[in-house]
Amino acid sequence: MIGGNTVSSEILLEIKDLGIQFKTGEGTVQPIRGVNFSLKKGETLGVVGESGSGKSVTSLAVMGLLPEKKSKIVSGSIHFNNNDITNLSEKQYRKLRGNEMSMIFQEPMTSLNPVFTIGELLSEPLKQHKKMSRKERKETIISVLKQVGIPRAEEIINEYPHQLSGGMRQRVMISLALLCEPKLLICDEPTTALDVTIQAQILELMKHIKKEKNMSLLFITHDLGVVAEMCDRVVVMYAGEIVEIAEINELFDNPLHPYTKGLIDSLPTNNARKSTLYSIKGQVPRPDEIGTGCAFANRCPHAFEKCLEQSPPTFLKGEHLSKCWLQESELQGVIR
Amino acid sequence: MTETLLEVKHLKKYYEISRGLFKPKLIVKAVDDVSFSIKKGETFALVGESGCGKSTTGRTLLRLTDATSGEVLYKGEDIMSLSYGEMRSLRKEMQMVFQDPYASLNPKMTIKQILMEPLRVHKKYSQEERLKKIIQILEIVGLSEAHLDRHPNEFSGGQRQRIGIARAVILNPDFIVADEPVSALDVSVQSQVINLMLELQKEFGLTYLFISHDLSVVEHMTDRVAVMYLGKIVELAETEELFKNPKHPYTQALISAVPASHPKEVKNRIVLTGDVPNPTNPPSGCTFHTRCPFAMEKCKSVAPTLTEVADGHVTSCHLYINNKEETSNAIIHSKV
Repeated sequence: MIGGNTVSSEILLEIKDLGIQFKTGEGTVQPIRGVNFSLKKGETLGVVGESGSGKSVTSLAVMGLLPEKKSKIVSGSIHFNNNDITNLSEKQYRKLRGNEMSMIFQEPMTSLNPVFTIGELLSEPLKQHKKMSRKERKETIISVLKQVGIPRAEEIINEYPHQLSGGMRQRVMISLALLCEPKLLICDEPTTALDVTIQAQILELMKHIKKEKNMSLLFITHDLGVVAEMCDRVVVMYAGEIVEIAEINELFDNPLHPYTKGLIDSLPTNNARKSTLYSIKGQVPRPDEIGTGCAFANRCPHAFEKCLEQSPPTFLKGEHLSKCWLQESELQGVIR
Repeated sequence: MTETLLEVKHLKKYYEISRGLFKPKLIVKAVDDVSFSIKKGETFALVGESGCGKSTTGRTLLRLTDATSGEVLYKGEDIMSLSYGEMRSLRKEMQMVFQDPYASLNPKMTIKQILMEPLRVHKKYSQEERLKKIIQILEIVGLSEAHLDRHPNEFSGGQRQRIGIARAVILNPDFIVADEPVSALDVSVQSQVINLMLELQKEFGLTYLFISHDLSVVEHMTDRVAVMYLGKIVELAETEELFKNPKHPYTQALISAVPASHPKEVKNRIVLTGDVPNPTNPPSGCTFHTRCPFAMEKCKSVAPTLTEVADGHVTSCHLYINNKEETSNAIIHSKV
């Protein structure tokens, strides 16, 4: 099932050769290396990867939320709506954030300020970005809360976040992000902290809202099942690099990178009951452990000498990108 | 295989919430009259959403929290009546693996100390034999002698969970309560840990109580499943039977809420409305009637009892208590 049906060819967000450096006690590490992707208007792009793969750091960079003193964009650029936003000042960013782009965070428990009522929380972006009277604000807030399926919205605006359940809080987060009708919505693991039945509700809601408002969604998750349901295209990240980009059906039918294959094969539903699950050996390397070769080489079942020596370039096969030496020789041959 | 290892009869665990001196105490029925039995060598799963009482059930079985009433027969002996000392020595046969590998290992202890502790407490083996045993178990779970003097913070999540499992298995227990052992882990590491648990089960003939909310993992590795909702078991069946032929509307919704494993997979989803009700004030009658798509008038007042619908498959729902004609009427009626 593909969420959007009105994907245009216009590009809303483009990230070119992005590199981000972090200062640590012992020097610098570069958790993001050469990240390239673009997001079209009305598209849902999934970003998949395990913890430490750099998916959240990338999204924070887009929002201009990287810690100022500790991190630096060392290469590349981020273009949003045909403007270069890589080096915007904090003041300029404030005009974008919450207005043209907004973000939904993973933990609905910690990302809402507990000392404000829901109404106060929700009026903040409107005060920042829109000239509205008090009454108009209240009306807007109530209508947005109703859109995301919150019952008794008129009462909820006077309640505090702790009075709501996890699913309700995530709905409040979504309404907070939607208030100014942004063009881009970044969702960082929006359903990971929720129960399956609530997750299903929230995913349905997001599909519905996306269609209605024709937004672009950058959907960050580690759950391939959620990706399969929500996204049009998928970016697979591993250890700070993009290893594969493909259209959703193409990715599941014909994954090119051994890491993507491994992830799909290790889903319990793709293995016979009670059998030994397919698993990728080892673990994600820390940013300071990555050497010269392919970052995945030490876990890869197909690794050969070249993989250890040289980092592979990105190979293109139609619309399907992958960063693996296997593709070099197999460009003319069979895959899998 | 048919020998019963553990039998739980009418287990109840109520928590009291004090609301001040003169107000009556609130009672939360975390586990409310739960009965089931676990056969030797099988993996028995408890599934449900957060707050349904599955973890509390697991903990009361090991008497990590004391039950309000009920019986737990382990190898025919009621462990609820054992003294503290007797229970403590029985725990060498019953162990637990916890959810969060970051919180369940003492950060000040080395791996050697962590694994030595159970042997020391239960006075097993001589000093040198203990060390040999520890190295042996480390190798079984995929770590090595080199890790002996390290502290938990030096390990990744997957490795920590392996240590947690090693600590549980080192005493050669018969029964292990695994409380969400893989839900804090990344996808590629999750499959490694599941494989380890399956291997250990074969090797040591372990019996697992597997507590999880991840239905795809449950489907893969368990033999029988009990579905809990608000402290009660609403359905219990063999795993394959349950997934093929779920009876209770809650189970049906839960299974349908699992994300698809392929974008082309079309799911007939039952999206439940609302959240899990407040456990201090559970709904009257069938506790699920507030969210049930098939709720009838009767459900609001009369609580259903567990009835057998097929061999070894029980469910508590009014839909299956009446005769067949009435049942189909009820479903058709509620669909309109």
